[in-house]
Amino acid sequence: MERISSNMNINDMQYQLEKRNKSMYELNNKMSTQSKISNLRDDPLAAAHSTRYLSKITHLERYTKNAERVKSEHRVAEGYMQSANSVLHRIRELAVQGGNDTYTKSDKQAMGQEINQLLNELVEIGNARNPDGTTMFGGDNTATTPYRVLSGNVPNADGHVITEVEYRGSIKPSVVEIGEGNYVKKHFAGNEVFWAEEQQVFSGTNAQNYVVANDTSIQIDGEEIQLNSGDNIHNIIAKINDSNAQVKAGLDPVNNSLTLRTTSPHQMFLEDGQGGNVLQDLGVITEIGKPPFNIAEDAKASGGSLFDMVIHLRDRLYAGDTIDIGGSALKGIDMAQDKLVSSISELGAQDERLQVAMRRINSEIPELQEQNSKEVDLDVTKAITELKRLEQAHQAALGAAGRMMQPTLLDFLR
Amino acid sequence: MNSTFTGIEIGKRSIMAHTQGMSTIGHNLGNAAVDGYNRQRIEMKAFDPIYMPGLNRAETAGQLGQGVTTSSIERVHDEILEGRIIKQGNGEGYWKSRDKYILMMEQVYNEPDETSVRGLMDQFWDSWQELSMYPEQTSARHAVLERGKSLINGIHRRYEGLSDIRDMLEQDIQGTVQRVNSILTEVSGINEQIVKIEAMGDNPNDLLDQRDRLVKELSSLVNITVSGRDPDEFTIHTAGMHLLQGRVAHYLSAEPNTQNEGYSDVVWRESGEGFIPQGGELAGYLELRDGDVREEIQGLDMMTINFTDMVNSIHRDGYGKNGKTGQDFFTEWPFVNNVSGNYDRSGDGEFDSTYLFRITGNNSLDPQQQIGLEGTISLSGRQQNVQIDYNATDTVEEVIHRINTSGAEVTARLDRNGRLNLKASPAADVDNPDFVIRHVEDSGQFLAGYSGVLTEPGEAGAYDWGQADAVTALRGEGVDYSVAPLSHPAGWTELNPAIAEDPASIAAGLGKNGETAEPGNGDAALAIAQLRNGDVMVGKYKGFSDYFSQAVAKVGLKGEAAERAYETEKEIMQELETMKDSISGVNIDEELSQMIKFQHGYAAASRYISEVNKMLDTIINRMGV
Repeated sequence: MERISSNMNINDMQYQLEKRNKSMYELNNKMSTQSKISNLRDDPLAAAHSTRYLSKITHLERYTKNAERVKSEHRVAEGYMQSANSVLHRIRELAVQGGNDTYTKSDKQAMGQEINQLLNELVEIGNARNPDGTTMFGGDNTATTPYRVLSGNVPNADGHVITEVEYRGSIKPSVVEIGEGNYVKKHFAGNEVFWAEEQQVFSGTNAQNYVVANDTSIQIDGEEIQLNSGDNIHNIIAKINDSNAQVKAGLDPVNNSLTLRTTSPHQMFLEDGQGGNVLQDLGVITEIGKPPFNIAEDAKASGGSLFDMVIHLRDRLYAGDTIDIGGSALKGIDMAQDKLVSSISELGAQDERLQVAMRRINSEIPELQEQNSKEVDLDVTKAITELKRLEQAHQAALGAAGRMMQPTLLDFLR
Repeated sequence: MNSTFTGIEIGKRSIMAHTQGMSTIGHNLGNAAVDGYNRQRIEMKAFDPIYMPGLNRAETAGQLGQGVTTSSIERVHDEILEGRIIKQGNGEGYWKSRDKYILMMEQVYNEPDETSVRGLMDQFWDSWQELSMYPEQTSARHAVLERGKSLINGIHRRYEGLSDIRDMLEQDIQGTVQRVNSILTEVSGINEQIVKIEAMGDNPNDLLDQRDRLVKELSSLVNITVSGRDPDEFTIHTAGMHLLQGRVAHYLSAEPNTQNEGYSDVVWRESGEGFIPQGGELAGYLELRDGDVREEIQGLDMMTINFTDMVNSIHRDGYGKNGKTGQDFFTEWPFVNNVSGNYDRSGDGEFDSTYLFRITGNNSLDPQQQIGLEGTISLSGRQQNVQIDYNATDTVEEVIHRINTSGAEVTARLDRNGRLNLKASPAADVDNPDFVIRHVEDSGQFLAGYSGVLTEPGEAGAYDWGQADAVTALRGEGVDYSVAPLSHPAGWTELNPAIAEDPASIAAGLGKNGETAEPGNGDAALAIAQLRNGDVMVGKYKGFSDYFSQAVAKVGLKGEAAERAYETEKEIMQELETMKDSISGVNIDEELSQMIKFQHGYAAASRYISEVNKMLDTIINRMGV
């Protein structure tokens, strides 16, 4: 520009001062919050990433907490299961001894007494509760006591002894999330842990001509199996076998009736879906009663729990029946122990999974925190240097501005 | 023959002229610091000499000069530069308003911080996780309740913050329209005076300066161009229409529009036709109020309604500690309080529309299964229905994806039980209500028999909102739907008071086979917690994380763009103003040196007069005495 008016210098200086003031103010703000982002516009994409990181970190911390809690609960449960195992061990010893004909009848009765006591101990273990009062082995029915004891008279026993131990808990353990889509069981279901033999149910009703009337469903061990209208017995069997339930269905060649057999020892819970009655019609269950007490009267059920095995052994000892003691009773105890040990090792495997998950999360959290920090935290050295530079420039500008009052012609005219 | 007193006359003329010159200098010096002042220059020219050719011409050498006179007082002004400054004012005003208000929007977000809505939702989610671990406990339920309250409060606060911004914009719009009108009145008054003064042959310099100042202010408010081509009529145009023609001003007015929540439309006062400014602050405010801020509020509403609807769906299926089920966790007032969603839109006392937010199909679908059907789905879109084709080889997942990316104002997802959910999104057009499904139609069986939404394919089976009891078009008794909210969900969602009174009603578990949940079952709590991370379709976003992150990025990027644009506009304006200053600004030294010229001229003229006086004195008083 050729011509400079008197105001130009001043206007310009004001404008630049304003700009610099703004930069210094913003920088000061950032330094006091230690964050690069005092407004979203300062780095919109970093802010967007940061929201994801912060959320993810919260989630991971929750997963760690969940995993740790489940781990300590499992420890306690494992302790109980080990305890039950050593009780079974002692019972087995007694079984082996009792199968030996060298012992007298009264000796065997005494053994029976000991086993009765040990049975009570096992029931106590089965009904164990967590410190917060919830049951350990009742599945997700954590309020009711899992095992209900019926007592009565048994030949040669002293007074009332336990005759039956019924499982009243649920079969479904709750799950807890320890990672995205990663779940771990929180409870244990007594119908699995304290079971001994494969269970089998043979219906007495001829199912050859049976056809499903409407779309409905049946529930086996909590698994819902859909049936369509028009399905015959073979379709039903195929669907049961295809499903996730650990149960194998078949057709009894003699009666043409439905048979169900567990593929790993546990007590089956059979139910009809809402509004349906297929299993009732097939003679497997009755209308009244809830599983597992709803097996139909003319259906044959076999297979027993750990308690059943111990009761059987004890009763044989009371009766002095050597052959059975060393034979089927001992076999029963062995099967119970097998199942218990496999439950313990399943626990161990779950525990290891928990460890792995926790280790991974614990290394992921600091990494995420670092990434977040890179996005939003202020680089303090850079900021301070920048601030210093601005301050210097500001000083220089103010100094120049101070000299803005130049002498004019007026000063030189007389 | 010369007059005796010609000399004095000549001297007198010189003194007058130089005095006027000094006055002008004095005027310039006095106004040097005034904003927008254009320096004035006095033009002097020689007075008409004698003698002009004619019969009474004296026989003497000619032409004899007769001194000096002032011809005009001009202001030093570049009209073209002024035009550029006005144009620049349009841009600067627009970005200034955007910069200011988008900063306010950014601050409403409170991110990235734990106290933002996102942080509160994470905490809420966390409390459900805790409940899923310990479903028997009441303390875990209290935590869910309190965190839920904090989350709702956070959402309300953000809604109120945005709503307040919209109200401020409304006030600014009304204020700006008033200011525009008052500027027009002032300028028309000045124009009248200017025409009169110019008719006398004078330059109304100071009035012109004043008019320029007003026009510059106007340019930052609305986009204008100025035409002074016709000197009798100073015209201000905007978008091809006249705002001001000489003395005649066409005023603007702000009329409330009930379709837009009572916010005003800017119209021409005389014709009532809409006025849509293309630049200046007014354009910025209107765009912000009805575009940016409205979209933010819609986004928040959409997040809220999806969130509350999904939590409620799961919660209703779950069982509380006291065995209660079927309870909503969140409620909202007002809602369309008719169970079938019937609503009276026209206000004539009869139900004429159905307002549904979500429709769920009957059948459980497998996302990976090929559908084996073909047809075209028709869903409501912005201006008209959007068509979505599907073929036999498409999987359920692919069809859903196609619906969600089609641009329709309806989104689809499979819920926890595999059933198809169709949910309405916010309406892009101000005339359509938000979160209402307007049209669902399928020419094939996908929506009819396959997913169990409609009763039959084709037009006969279509669901349309324009009639009462449109729910009869939906298939079967068991069709699950939810009614649309009447006003902003983000402002009116609350915790269900029944739940707040009795936290034991908070559902943690799911029952199986229609039975009550076991006390140790935390599946419902877990399912609710998983909403946070799942692909649950929040409007067109896949999940909540996407919504939060995208919302932040969008606003931040807008803010960044506004700041940069505003800085640039300010720089350019500064440059232009400096150029103007260079041409029209007062330079004190220059004025002072001019003053010296006039001073000397004045002194010389006075000296000349005294000399002529002496000469006359010799003739009159000394000759022949």
